[in-house]
Amino acid sequence: MAKVVVIGSGFAGQTAALYLGDALGKKHEITVINKYDIFGYTPSWVWVGVGQMEPEKTTFKLKPVYDKFHINFVQGTARSIYVDDQYVLVDKANGGGEEKTPYDYLMIATGARLNFAGTPGLGPHDGYTASICSLSHAINARDRLFEAIARMEKGERQKIVVGTGHPGATCQGAAFEYLTNIHKVLEKRGLRDKADLLWLSNEPALGDFGVRGLRIKKKGRALTSDEFIRAVFELYGIKWQVQTGVRKVEPGKIYWENYEGEEGETDFDFAMLIPQFLGPGFTYYDKDGNDVTDQMANKGGFVLVDAIYGLDWDTLAETPEAWPAVYQNRKYKNIFAAGIAFAPPGSISRPFVNPNGLSITAAPPRTGMISGIIGRIVALNIIDLVKRGRMTHAERMTEMFAACIASMGDSLWDGSAATIVIYPVVPDPRTYPNEEGRDLFVTDMEMGLAGAWMKRMIHTTFMHKLQGRIGWKLIPE
Amino acid sequence: MTFEITEKDARKMNNKLIQLWRFIVLNLKILKAVDHSKRS
Repeated sequence: MAKVVVIGSGFAGQTAALYLGDALGKKHEITVINKYDIFGYTPSWVWVGVGQMEPEKTTFKLKPVYDKFHINFVQGTARSIYVDDQYVLVDKANGGGEEKTPYDYLMIATGARLNFAGTPGLGPHDGYTASICSLSHAINARDRLFEAIARMEKGERQKIVVGTGHPGATCQGAAFEYLTNIHKVLEKRGLRDKADLLWLSNEPALGDFGVRGLRIKKKGRALTSDEFIRAVFELYGIKWQVQTGVRKVEPGKIYWENYEGEEGETDFDFAMLIPQFLGPGFTYYDKDGNDVTDQMANKGGFVLVDAIYGLDWDTLAETPEAWPAVYQNRKYKNIFAAGIAFAPPGSISRPFVNPNGLSITAAPPRTGMISGIIGRIVALNIIDLVKRGRMTHAERMTEMFAACIASMGDSLWDGSAATIVIYPVVPDPRTYPNEEGRDLFVTDMEMGLAGAWMKRMIHTTFMHKLQGRIGWKLIPE
Repeated sequence: MTFEITEKDARKMNNKLIQLWRFIVLNLKILKAVDHSKRS
C-alpha cells in the first residue's frame, strides 16, 4: 500500500487530491495536510473585496469531499520534511501538537507565502495597504473600501491605488481585475467622479501581466495588450504608472523606484497592493539530521524541480525545455511541487535592473488554471508510479493555456469583462514560429458581456469540480 | 495609430446576440487549448 501526501489544498493540491483519491483512495493511503479546513476559490475574492459576493460563496468544507474520495485530512501546518526518512512534521491545528505524516510520494502544493515583510509598511496586518490574497484579507479590503466610499458619500475626494507592492511581485491580473471592479462599483453608486484611480505596477508595459503581454489581430491590424489595456483605462478614466517597484509604504504614502532609477512617492487614501510571493519555506532534513534545504529549494523557498536553472533570460526565452515537465525534484524523485510552490527557471517577462541595482521584474504567474493543470499532471504521474512504476504525463508551461478574465461588475445582464486567453502561457518560438511564439487562433483578448458570462461560468463549474461532484473530471482545469 | 474603444465597440460589448457568439468562440478557443492539455 502506497502512502501519498499532498501538502496544501488550493487549486493544485485540491485537483491532485481528487485525482489521487479517485484512482488510489480505496487501496492506498492518501493524506492531505492543510492549514484550514475549507477550500477558498481565490479568483472570486476580487468580488468579495468589493462587496459583490458573500465570502461563504467562495468556500466549501474539505472534510466531506475527502470522505467521499477516501482521503485522510490533517488540519495543520507542515513545518519540515525529512527527505530520507520520508515523513512530514506537522503542527496540528487547535493545539493538536506535532505529528509525523509518513509518505512514499509527496506533493508540495502550498501556494504562496505572502511576503508583506519584504516591503515595509505593506499589508493589512502590520502595514497600511489592503490585500485580496486570502479570504480574510479580501473581507478586510472590502471593509476598508467601504470606508473610503463612505468618505466619498460625504463629499471627500479619494485617491485609490491598486497594483503590485514589491518590485518582484506577480498576480497583476487579479490586481487589475480588482481595480476595474472598484471602477464599476463607484460608477454604480454615482461616485466615480469622487475618486482618482491609479494602476501602479512593476510590469515593463501595460497589459504585460507577467507573461510578456500578447499581440493579436483586431480590426485588421496588430493589437498589443499594452494598447488594449491602455484603451480600457482611457475609457474608464484610470491613470497608470508601470515600470515601478514599490519600496516602502507609510500612512497615505507609497514610496517607489522606477526603471530610470528615480525615486518618488504617491499619495493614497485606499490602496490594494499585491505582495511578493515566496515558496513554502519548509526546512528539509536528511537521514543524519543535516539541513539540506539549499538542495531542495531556492532562496525564495520555491521547490527545485526538473527545470533547467541558471540560464540567462534570452537563452531561456529560446529554450522551452527549460520549463519543468513533470515537476519532480531531481534528487528526491518521490517529491513533487505544483502551482506556486515550484521554482520556475526564470521570469517570462523580460527582467530589468535599474541604475540603482534594483530588479523590477514581474514574476511568472502560476495560479488558478495553471496550478490546476500542474496538480493534475503530478497526480496522474504519482498514480502511474504507484500502478506501473513509470510516469507517462508531462506538461510544461510552454504547452499550457490560461484565461485571465478581469470582470467589471458581476451582472449577467449588463456586466462586462476583459477576457484574455493565452496559449501557451510561456511563449514557445519553436512550436509557434511567429513573433509572439503563441497560437494565434487561441490567443485573444476582448471586452464585453461574454466575459462576464465566462467569469460566472468558470466560478460555478470550478466550485462544482473541486467538490468532486458528478462529472467533475469532465470539467477541464 | 492608437487603438481606442469606440461607441460602436461599446454597443457591441453589450449586444446580447453578438456576445453570445463571442461566448461560443471563447469557449471553442479554450476547448482547443484544453484538447491539447488533456492529451499530455
